[in-house]
Amino acid sequence: MHLHVASAYSMRFGAASPKALADRAAEFGMRTLALTDRDGLYGAVRHVRACAEAGIAPVLGADLALLPADQARPGGPGLERVVVLAEGKAGWTSLCRLVTAAHAAGERGQARITRAMVAEHSAGLVVLLGPSSDFGRAVTERERGRAVALLDAWRATGAEVAVEIVNHHGRGDGPRAARMLALAREAGVPAVLGNGVRYLEGADHPVAQVLDVARKLVPLHRRHLDDQTGHAYLKSEEEMRRSAALACGLDEADDLVAATKRLAERCVLDPGRDLGMGRAHLPDTGPEPHGQLLARCLQGLRGRGLERREGYEARLAHELDIIGRKGFASYFLTVADAAALIRDLGIRCAIRGSGAGSLVNFLLGIGDLDPLRHDLVMERFLADSRPGLPDIDLDVESARRLEAYEALFHRFGTDATACVSMMETYRARSAIRDVGGAMGLPPQEIDAIAKAFPHIRARQIRAALTDLPELRRSNLNNAQLNVIFRIAERLDGLPRHIALHPCGVILSNPTLRDRTPVEQSTAGFPMSQFDKDDVETMGLLKLDVIGVRMQSSMAHTVAEIERTTGERLDLAAVPRADEPTFEMIRSARTLGCFQIESPGQRELVAKLLPRTVDDLVVDISLFRPGPVGSDMVNPFLDARHGRRPAVFPHPDLEPVLRESQGIVVWHEQVLRVLDVMTGCGLSDAEGMRRRMSSDEGLQAVGTWFRERAHARGYDGPTVERVWRTLAAFGAFGFCKAHAASFALPTYQSAWLKRHHTAAFFAGVLSHDPGMYPKRVILDDARHFGVPILPLDVNHSQALWRVEDGGIRVALAEVRGISEVEVERIAGRRPYASLGDFWRRAHASRPTVERLVLAGAFDALYRDTPVGRRDLLCRVGALDRASSVRPSAGLVAGQLPLGDDLATPEPGMLEDVPLGELPPMAPSEIVEAELDILGMDVSRHVISFYGDLLRALGVVPARDLPDRGKGEEVLVAGVKVATQTPAVRSGQRVIFATLDDATGPVDLTFFESVQDRCAATVFGSWLLLARGRVHKPGFRAASLTASECWDLGVLDEAWREGGIGAVRRIMAASGPSSGGRPIGRRTTYSSGFAVSPYADVGHAGPQVRRGPPARLWHASQGSSGPTDP
Amino acid sequence: MTRVFGDPVEVRVTGGRPAGFAWRGRRYAVRRVLEHWVTTRDWWREREPDADEPGEREYWRVEAAANGGEPGVYELRHDSTTDAWTLSRLWD
Repeated sequence: MHLHVASAYSMRFGAASPKALADRAAEFGMRTLALTDRDGLYGAVRHVRACAEAGIAPVLGADLALLPADQARPGGPGLERVVVLAEGKAGWTSLCRLVTAAHAAGERGQARITRAMVAEHSAGLVVLLGPSSDFGRAVTERERGRAVALLDAWRATGAEVAVEIVNHHGRGDGPRAARMLALAREAGVPAVLGNGVRYLEGADHPVAQVLDVARKLVPLHRRHLDDQTGHAYLKSEEEMRRSAALACGLDEADDLVAATKRLAERCVLDPGRDLGMGRAHLPDTGPEPHGQLLARCLQGLRGRGLERREGYEARLAHELDIIGRKGFASYFLTVADAAALIRDLGIRCAIRGSGAGSLVNFLLGIGDLDPLRHDLVMERFLADSRPGLPDIDLDVESARRLEAYEALFHRFGTDATACVSMMETYRARSAIRDVGGAMGLPPQEIDAIAKAFPHIRARQIRAALTDLPELRRSNLNNAQLNVIFRIAERLDGLPRHIALHPCGVILSNPTLRDRTPVEQSTAGFPMSQFDKDDVETMGLLKLDVIGVRMQSSMAHTVAEIERTTGERLDLAAVPRADEPTFEMIRSARTLGCFQIESPGQRELVAKLLPRTVDDLVVDISLFRPGPVGSDMVNPFLDARHGRRPAVFPHPDLEPVLRESQGIVVWHEQVLRVLDVMTGCGLSDAEGMRRRMSSDEGLQAVGTWFRERAHARGYDGPTVERVWRTLAAFGAFGFCKAHAASFALPTYQSAWLKRHHTAAFFAGVLSHDPGMYPKRVILDDARHFGVPILPLDVNHSQALWRVEDGGIRVALAEVRGISEVEVERIAGRRPYASLGDFWRRAHASRPTVERLVLAGAFDALYRDTPVGRRDLLCRVGALDRASSVRPSAGLVAGQLPLGDDLATPEPGMLEDVPLGELPPMAPSEIVEAELDILGMDVSRHVISFYGDLLRALGVVPARDLPDRGKGEEVLVAGVKVATQTPAVRSGQRVIFATLDDATGPVDLTFFESVQDRCAATVFGSWLLLARGRVHKPGFRAASLTASECWDLGVLDEAWREGGIGAVRRIMAASGPSSGGRPIGRRTTYSSGFAVSPYADVGHAGPQVRRGPPARLWHASQGSSGPTDP
Repeated sequence: MTRVFGDPVEVRVTGGRPAGFAWRGRRYAVRRVLEHWVTTRDWWREREPDADEPGEREYWRVEAAANGGEPGVYELRHDSTTDAWTLSRLWD
């Protein structure tokens, strides 16, 4: 019966999920429930689903703000709002269009309506005028005449109008409700009850109050609260009647309840008939789509030279059969059209995911992977047993993704296209920030507290405080913070703001705007208020166009090869069995390569020793939680290297499992195993596979599998053995089509690294595709013998480029430089001096100063006594001169270009003597580089600690493989990555990678040592660690760490107290408490356990961002560490 | 004139609203409810705020009279967490 309900999808306003609201309404025995979120229909689809599950009928509407008639009422009671409900299909269409119009009318993120807009879309709309409406406000202010006139004005819109009676039991609420009712009765306008619901129950009101002030960016104070009484909860019918009776008397209350129910019943929407759910709304692809599809597939067969090849025609017929039965021909034609459009722009585009398993996709040119050659099945992608539209994902160059979007919008029409949105929700850090702000904590303190937490869910906050050693040692456990944490936990998962989904685009027909409300994204694209699940429920075709940085990186590499050598490289045509490439992969020198650069992957390739692209497919598939969790990796490696023969659970399964040495790696194999042993066919097998992702489903499928397999004559032990493998595989497996589509760019990137090394690094450094900070890639380039050329105003381009076999630092790396500045600097070269640059490049002073400090002018002043400090002074003088006399010396051509370095720049008012300031020390240069470019270009930062490291006997990364297994050693370096991936034991294991200028060192910290190590690992940039050498592969070596220290702290001690002081600190780290388990693990039926802290971003600042503040604590008179 | 008190009172509730109360040894009968409203507590201002059990304060402004006395306007406050009634103000 509730007609005015805000869920959490009313951002920073509502506190309950649509599901919780629907469940509660059903418990109360209500037959209907409306969802009327603020400013949009963000929660509408979820509400419809939740109502269906709860067995009640959905009503939909929106709570919309009115465009203020006169702006001159600052400090007033906030915007006026009305609720607009949809009746029937016409109402839903009007509502979608009205919400879209409201967002187009206001500024971005501020939806506003006018009565004229309602009049334009009045068909099927019901407007509720409650206490916050203009009518309600007039009644509150006892302006009877205005109230009556407003009521008439609303009725003139053509929409149905009802007065909403609300009693929240605030002061004056009751009398106002009575007056509103009286006016409605006088005017003959129906009146209904509402409660402006914002949360589930009364005790939730503190959450709503925090949201009120977080939305308004003010601290908690009564005058800022929209909710004063705690009564905006989902009340039962009886409570609603009682509130109404208190205000208007018992008889009126009964009348109001009855009228409310009548209106609600009338506004119930049918998901199929009214909302169009359960059907696909595809673009129009002309007559006879299936005939067109067939013709284009046959053309593809000819084009790819597969006409009379065995198996292809049968497979094509099979796929076309399924597509025909599902009526999806238009879908494939549309996606083919989209892919062709993107490729025609010259944008690199590859298919990913299960879609690569379809021959139709291959023949239409959507993908370039032949599914028959890689033995991929179609059913994982599209089967009779799969509901809904299939998913096709296209990988494009990240830097040109928006260009691809624009082309799609242009081609399919703005009315028929929209991007998919997604909800950013409250997590630990954001919740702490908002609640901390509400409680009036100082911003710096809030920032420090929020960053102390890893990127966990908000509801894990207090558990993390006791679970995680890095937090146990903090001083966050006090009463005042505890309140903040408790409320922050209650914000868990509430939507905070809407954002553009990183890749989803809806392609539909011109009825799209009748089916989904659209607002503008930050980037200016029309964006549906529905997320990807909603879009699917609504039967809309969503194409995922995923920006992949590696594709941009390779495009840049290819362009650089052509620019420097004239060779036009076709990556698709590169030989796939290049031995030097595989040799490089086998030696794990794969930093910067797609998919195989992480520490775990470098370890795996060193063990697996790939020789072909198919091996890479296996490698990528094995590096997943599933195979790791059910211990498939070692048996696979043993069989592969002939240490043990491959074991097949049954001879019938040998053809299915031969490629993976008897173990189950891929979804496709699950399908085939199920099919072989039960005879169910691949389509049903896919249905079964998907059911296996839930525990109940797994049980049901297990029973079915055993029965069918026994009936087909398989013996008990075999059936059990096979089932155990399948069950362990569970939901974690990998789609082989996906791995195959990833293996190609993996190989291509490795090939480029091996054969066009400098261009490869230019690409990777420009587009930053990987997991490591750029300084690691830069160091890797040095190891590969690629010279690093410094930043230079006369040579650096926007992006990294190849120059004489080396790579030149890009202008874009300079912190804070704008695109316009980059363009001007590159476009107006050459520059003869700093003064010349100042006059013509028109870069901002901070940018010029950073260029100076990062050495971009060094080449101009080589062989002169002028240093960076001199130039810095001169920037100041030039700036002062141009601001004092704007015209002085600014006319080009009139002045000498300042070639005579001894004389002041023309136009300068003061004489800055040159060559008198001391040059910057190497340590200062590196510090400036790290600050401005984020990477140490001139030399590796660890080189400044050489003496200390030698004194301690630290082993360089390069020498680690020569050390014996189990030997205890010290290593040191810059922290370049930390991860806490899911591992088999369910421990939270911290993997950290250090870089010490001779290569990466991978460290493993098990839970038993995290008590004393976690805070240091997460909190320090330079680390010294002690541990035992671990040798997982033939050439690889890593360290199982037992202790670690902040190298900066040790270095300071060394300067002050010598090696003795350092050793004292190291000895004081104390024994570990023996390690308590970190957090409660979730154990799956496969026996695979997962830590609640697996795969969450770690505490503290981002590793990729580089050093936190100053590197060296420069004592007075010291210029930092001495040269090694 | 208005007078402000904070005296605890005993209140007789019927049909969800106060029907009478006892204050300083005298019994008062409620004749009419003039106004009724609730507010939440300012939980964030408390020393050790408990936002999990926030509770509410309910105010009843009533016209009441003691046996044989003149009617006056009384404001009764009910705190839901402690279930205690207070006479917060009176006008006479």
